[in-house]
Amino acid sequence: MTGKEKLLAALKEKGIKYIFGYTGGTIMPVFDEMDKTKDFQFIMSRHEQGATFMAQGLSRASLSTDNPQLGACMATSGPGAMNLTTGVADAHMDSVPMLIVTGQVATGVIATDAFQESDVVGVMMPICKQTYMPLHADEIESTIHEAHYVATTGRGGPVLVDIPKDVQNESVSPQYRFDVKGYRPVLPGYLYHPTPDREPLDRAIKMINKSVRPLIFCGHGVINSNAGKLLQQFAEKVNIPIAFTMHGLSALPSDHPLSLGMMGMHGTVEANKAVMEADLLIAFGMRFDDRVTGKLNEYAANADVIHVEIDPSEIDKNVATSVAINADVLRTLRVLVDDPLLTYKPRRRWFKQIDEHRKVMKKELQAEIDTGVGDTGTLLMKTIVDRLSKLTKGKDLIVPDVGQHQMMAARFYSYQTENSWFSSGGAGTMGCSLPMAIGVKLARPQERVWSISGDGGFQMNIQELGTVMEHNIDIKMLLFNNGYLGMVRQWQTLFFDGRYSGTPMQNPDYGFIAQAYKIPYLKVEEVKDIAPALKKAIKQKGPILIEFVCDPTEVILPMIPSGGGFNDMIVTRPPKEKSASKKKRKVSKS
Amino acid sequence: MKRRAILAFMLDRPGVLNKVSMLIRKKMYNVDTLTVCSSRVPGISRMTITLQEDDIAKVTQVIKQLEKFTEVISAKELDTQKSYWREAAIVKLEVDREHLTAFNGRYNFEILEKKGKDVQIVQIAGSTVQIDTFLDEVGRENIIEIARTGVAAMEK
Repeated sequence: MTGKEKLLAALKEKGIKYIFGYTGGTIMPVFDEMDKTKDFQFIMSRHEQGATFMAQGLSRASLSTDNPQLGACMATSGPGAMNLTTGVADAHMDSVPMLIVTGQVATGVIATDAFQESDVVGVMMPICKQTYMPLHADEIESTIHEAHYVATTGRGGPVLVDIPKDVQNESVSPQYRFDVKGYRPVLPGYLYHPTPDREPLDRAIKMINKSVRPLIFCGHGVINSNAGKLLQQFAEKVNIPIAFTMHGLSALPSDHPLSLGMMGMHGTVEANKAVMEADLLIAFGMRFDDRVTGKLNEYAANADVIHVEIDPSEIDKNVATSVAINADVLRTLRVLVDDPLLTYKPRRRWFKQIDEHRKVMKKELQAEIDTGVGDTGTLLMKTIVDRLSKLTKGKDLIVPDVGQHQMMAARFYSYQTENSWFSSGGAGTMGCSLPMAIGVKLARPQERVWSISGDGGFQMNIQELGTVMEHNIDIKMLLFNNGYLGMVRQWQTLFFDGRYSGTPMQNPDYGFIAQAYKIPYLKVEEVKDIAPALKKAIKQKGPILIEFVCDPTEVILPMIPSGGGFNDMIVTRPPKEKSASKKKRKVSKS
Repeated sequence: MKRRAILAFMLDRPGVLNKVSMLIRKKMYNVDTLTVCSSRVPGISRMTITLQEDDIAKVTQVIKQLEKFTEVISAKELDTQKSYWREAAIVKLEVDREHLTAFNGRYNFEILEKKGKDVQIVQIAGSTVQIDTFLDEVGRENIIEIARTGVAAMEK
C-alpha cells in the first residue's frame, strides 16, 4: 500500500464522501488513485477558493445533524494551495471544521524554490487550527485521523495536511500497522474540556436568580453544539430574552417571543438597547467580536457576564467575565435546563422596557418594506428578503454573501429551521455565498437553498456557476444588483460625505452569463414581480438565477459606527441623496 | 512596566517555535527574551518567555493563547519572588585586566580569553540585573560585542 492509498482509506474511514478541489502537478497521484477507488464524489471548483467555501458549506450545514460530514478540499502545491488561503482563514475565523489536503513538491526538492513550491505549512499555520506535513507514507493514516479529531472537536477549525508528492507514492514499510478502530489521538496539550465544572455553574445559577434584567446571548457555539432547542427551553424556563450574534441566528425561531433578533453593529434597536440596560449577560458560545460589542469600554457597563465557551482563550479576551464556564454549550445547557434551583420570573418591568425599544424604527422599517422601492425608484433589498421569508415560511436555508444584503438577510428573514443561516462572519469574505451554497445543498439535499449575493460578491466567485452547471446543483441564486459595493457605499454616505470612491461598478449582462452556463434566469425590476419570480424559483427544479435591480441608496439601519459605542447607534435615515431623483441609474439590459 | 516570565512545556515538533514567534508578532506582545531547551523528558521542550507588561489580563491572554496550541502541554506565569531567573552573557571588552580584577568576588564572571593587550572576552552569569550592573560598572562604552542568552527560569 502506498501513501495515497492510505490517505484515501483514512478519508473514507472518517466518513468523507465529497472532495472539493482542483488537481495539479503535485496532487495528481492522489487524484489518480481517487478515480480508481470510486469512494468519493469529486466536485471540481473553478478556483481553489471556491472549493474551500464548498467544503465550509458542507461542514456548516451537516456537522450538527445526524449525518455529519467534514468538508474536505484538495489542491496542488504553490498557487493551488495559495488560492485556498482566503477560504481557510475564513473557516478559522468562524470556527468551521475543514480538512485541507495539499500536494507538495517532492521531499528531495523542498526548499530549493522548485516549480510550484511554496511554504504551505508556513503560510497556513496562523490560519489553521493545526498543520501537518507527513514525511513518510507510514505517517499519513494517523495524521488524517488526528487531523479529523482536531478539526471536529472543541472549537472547530481548518486543519491542513501537506503531503509531498514522493510521500504520496511511497509504499508503507513492511512492519506498518495501524489500528483504525483502536486509534486514539495522543495530544497531551490539546485543550478539550466539554463538561462544565460544578462550582462556576452554582455561581451562575445564583447570579441568574438574582438578576433583574438578564439577557441571553446566543452565539455560533449554540448551533455548532446543536443546542438550539435546549437554549430555547432554558430561556423559557427562566423567562429571559435572547439576543443573537450573526452566527447565532437560526439556533431557534427568529419570531420566538423571547427573541430580540441580532445584536451588534447592524443589530436591532431592542437587542442593542437591552445589552446596554441589562444587569446580567449570559453568553453561550460566542467570542465578543468587535462587531458585537462596539467600543469595549462602554460595553454593557452595568452587567455581570456569565460566559459559556468551549475555547478558554476566548474567555476574558475582550469582555471581563464574572463567571467563566469553559465547556460545551450543549452539556452546560443540559445541566441548566434540569436545575431545580433556577426559577421562572415574570420580569414584567424588563419586558415592558424592551417592548418600548421594539417600537423604535418599527413603523419606518415596515413602511419601507411595504413600499418596496427606494429613492431611485428601484427595489429595496429588505422587501425582497421579507417576501422570500413569507413565501418560504422562514423554513429554507439561507446563504448570504457579505455586505448590505447579508445584513438584510440577517434582519428580515424569519428563521424557523435550526441551523439555516450560513455566511462568512469573522472574516467577512465577499464571494463566499455561491460556493458555500453548493456545499450546503450537498449536505442537505432535501432542503431548499438560497444563495443571496450582491453584484460585488457574486462576481468574486462567479466562476463557480460552472460547478453549478456541471453538477446541476439545485440552488436558487438571488442577485441584488445595485451597481455598487453597497455596504462600503453606505459608510461613504454616512461618514465620507457621500464621496463614492471605488464603489460604483459596471456590471456585465447577467442574463448572458446565466445563458452561457445554461442556468435559467429572471430579471426583476418591479415590486409586483418579486413574489412571482420567487415562486417560479421555488417551482423550478434545478438552479436558477434571479437578478433584482436594487436601490443603491438603501441603507441598513440601525447602525453602530465602527469603533463607536451603543449610544452612537444611528436610527434615522440619512437625507435623500440629491442624485437619487435626478438620474435613474443605468443597469444592464438583457 | 513589570517584567514577567512565562514558563511553557511543549512537544518538540517542527513548527512549534515558529507558532510561538508568530503569536508574539500577531498579538504584538512586548517580548524581551525567549529561550528554548530540552526538558528532562525526551520529546518535550521547555520554553521561557520574558516580557514587559503591567496588565495582568494581557499576560493571561498570552498564556491562554500559548495553551491553545495543540503542542503546548502547559504554560504559566512564574512568580518573581518564588523563582530564579538567570541568564549568561559573553562580552568582548576593551579594558585591561586590572580594570576587571576590581570586580572579583562581586560578580560571578570568568575571563575566557585575553586578546591583544587590552581586549578581554568575559563570561558572566547571574540575574539580568546583575549582568546589567556589571556592564554598567565595567563601562558600556567598553563593550565591543555582547552575546546574552536570554532568561532561563525555574521555580524555587
